[in-house]
Amino acid sequence: MTPRSVLIVGESLAGTTAARELRALGHTGPVTIIGAEPHGAYSRPPLSKAVLRDPGADDALFQDLDGLDIHIVRSAATAADTSRRTVTTTDGREFRYDALIIATGAEARRLAAPGRRGELVLRTLDDARLLRSRLETAASAIVVGAGFLGMEVAGACAARGVPVTVVDVHRPLERILGGYLSAALTARAEAYGISCVQTFGFAVPTGDPVRGVMLPGGTELTADLVVTCAGETPCTDWLAGTGLAGQLGVGIDETCATAVPGVFAAGDVTHLRADDIGPDRRAPFWSNAVAQGKVAAASALGLAPTGTPYDDYFWTEVAGLALKVVGPLPLTGEPTTVEGSVENGRALLTWKRPDGPSTVVAYGMRKPIKALRALAEAGEHSASR
Amino acid sequence: MQISVDHARCEGHGLCADQAPEVFSLDDDAELTYHFDGADVPDEHRSAARVAVNVCPVAALRVLP
Repeated sequence: MTPRSVLIVGESLAGTTAARELRALGHTGPVTIIGAEPHGAYSRPPLSKAVLRDPGADDALFQDLDGLDIHIVRSAATAADTSRRTVTTTDGREFRYDALIIATGAEARRLAAPGRRGELVLRTLDDARLLRSRLETAASAIVVGAGFLGMEVAGACAARGVPVTVVDVHRPLERILGGYLSAALTARAEAYGISCVQTFGFAVPTGDPVRGVMLPGGTELTADLVVTCAGETPCTDWLAGTGLAGQLGVGIDETCATAVPGVFAAGDVTHLRADDIGPDRRAPFWSNAVAQGKVAAASALGLAPTGTPYDDYFWTEVAGLALKVVGPLPLTGEPTTVEGSVENGRALLTWKRPDGPSTVVAYGMRKPIKALRALAEAGEHSASR
Repeated sequence: MQISVDHARCEGHGLCADQAPEVFSLDDDAELTYHFDGADVPDEHRSAARVAVNVCPVAALRVLP
């Protein structure tokens, strides 16, 4: 049955992608987006890159849904009742739906004790603006977390001339990109002015306002800024009592359906439920939010989705070097160099797998995703022969 | 409808060209060509062009007011 009205909660990339897709699929009934973000929809990837360097970057972030006849409500959802099919907002209004798409995203995880001031994070436009202004006067910075976000933030600090130390139990990016790229990128980061410290336990923010971190051995590092880049927590408080959300967020299947009929979910708020590929798992990447927004829209209309709810593309920037990755992760072992050289900061690399698609990395090299995908698939075909 | 392209910000992801191949294209080095520079995007390509603008992961594209 085709639903009459679709309600999307979350003016996120997944939410706005779903809204556009609903119209693209020919849905002419009411579409409402409830969004808590006061700035409306905007693109997040530049927040940890261009936006930290250049205030002029802000204007280009905003997304519009002009001409699509989408009703936008700027208020936070506070409760959902899936038997009555309603969602309530902070301002006391109640919205009925035939199909619901949950796209409330996630918020930055904080490490400082509740109530402590001064711990910076990077998730929203306001977070990025605050960090950018603090970088104008800061003489030093500590970044907790050497994942993609942490290394991007550290790169922005270094580019702004602020000495920065990154602290993590893992080597920079090693958990996902493996030892080979971690070593190359760490050397690059150190040369760029980023000091990388590997600890044997978790760093704990100290001071109020936070002005440092205590390392497991009892050493305290201090700096003007402490930025925590330690992952995210799905925004599911408003779903309390619905049984839709657990610690990993809202569980979805291949069609972005949740455990409740008529309720779908997409983006950073979700986890993929255990299937024959793996256990319950979160994959809060930009490209997945796009893929899931589309799949959720099709499913909400009762159509068979044409794509999968996950994509295998992402990109990052480490110490001024752009990295694009297509294919399965994590990476292990050494790659084959197809073109260029890692030493020279410009290379095309492949990690071949005996039993599936290759992973292709453009290391400081401009390549369209399409070209990388073609290379990854070529690896798959040669492997299957 | 006109679109502005910030070539300095473009990293050559190419998602715009996937969405609106009549409006954007990339060469082998991922250099972007916008086919309607200084002109209006023809009506039949507008909706695809809007999707392309919104899907740009580095916010290098803008619909001009």
